[in-house]
Amino acid sequence: MNVFLLVGSPKGRHSASFLLGSKLAEGLRVHGAVVVEGMLYGELRSEEGTGRLLDAVDASDLVVFAFPLYVDSLPAPLTRLLERIAERRALAPGAAGAPRLAVMVQCGFPEAHQCDTAVGICRLFAGRTGMRWAGALAMGMGGSLGGDLGKLPGGGKNILDALDMASKSLADGGDIPEEAARLFSRPLMPRWLYLLFGNIGWRMQMRKNKAHRPISHRPYGQE
Amino acid sequence: MKALVLDGSREGETLTPVAVQGMTSALAARGIEVERVELRELAIGPCTGCFGCWTRTPGECVIEDGARDVLRSYVGSDIVAYVTPVTFGGYSSQLKKLLDRFIPVLDPRFTIVKGEVRHLLRYPRYPKTIGLGTLPSPDPEAERLFAALVARNGLNVHQTVEADVLIGVTDPESARRSADRLLDRAGVAA
Repeated sequence: MNVFLLVGSPKGRHSASFLLGSKLAEGLRVHGAVVVEGMLYGELRSEEGTGRLLDAVDASDLVVFAFPLYVDSLPAPLTRLLERIAERRALAPGAAGAPRLAVMVQCGFPEAHQCDTAVGICRLFAGRTGMRWAGALAMGMGGSLGGDLGKLPGGGKNILDALDMASKSLADGGDIPEEAARLFSRPLMPRWLYLLFGNIGWRMQMRKNKAHRPISHRPYGQE
Repeated sequence: MKALVLDGSREGETLTPVAVQGMTSALAARGIEVERVELRELAIGPCTGCFGCWTRTPGECVIEDGARDVLRSYVGSDIVAYVTPVTFGGYSSQLKKLLDRFIPVLDPRFTIVKGEVRHLLRYPRYPKTIGLGTLPSPDPEAERLFAALVARNGLNVHQTVEADVLIGVTDPESARRSADRLLDRAGVAA
């Protein structure tokens, strides 16, 4: 099975999307899949790179988009890629095959359900372009994902178990199991604690960046 | 009163420009000053997710491009209309490239709005958000998703918002009437 993992984060290989996506890819490889990784932002800058992405989608049995939630939906460059894939598939219906599509999305708010609209858009995209929907993994509290899933609260067990289940099922030609989606969406910590860490984190980041303006600065008036 | 109309139409697409025309006419007929921004003509880079707009230069994106002037207009407007082809239930990439760059108008600190976590507001006032999508033919799933997305975007600025989708409307007068009804629902006074 040929899998194309597309990382839809501007941070590419330094992103939480890559961290999660590469762990899923690891499991897919264990189960016999051949996984090719692509970084959306670098490739979409040129027509040549965009062509490579479109070809990779067409050549795959399974496509996985791993991306952060941006303003309740997909980052603009990923939306652009969906438009391009749809254009190509509309020009030559049937010629491009029918790969399956699965997505992994994480948001900075604590509630995983805030990813629902983005998942809905991807599902609809799959249905409208002749791809087969294979399910989604969505999580909140993405701001707590560092460089090592094992160092998350509880050893990141829920996430790792979810990725194990999902990779096995996807490699067997199945969908992402509901149990995997449920485990993946479980909060990593109590909401109040995440908010506390988050609000302290913004201040710490400002100090590190030597920001000269207050956090509530209004550069566009309304004083 | 001032309205900002964000035109998210794609190159060569015909329905959204008609919707933009309808919205612009409906607003002008109410005596509202309209600024229309044709997003596909604007060079706006993608958000890089650096959070510099919150932790380096609070309130302002560190990227100096076309998004800055639009954000300034947004903050100074009473109404903002997102006009876009409904793209798998979402916005076009032209509109989305701007909306991804809107986060500086919020304060990064968290708060709870209607039971969900959102960000604090940076400004005392925000324009009333209106979503107007276009589709060539009925697509209930896409229409439902679009309404849900606009509603979620409204929550980001702690608002309840109104949205509608024009189905196959090619006549500017029909588009104006639909936009008029949408403005009525949104409580935009003449």
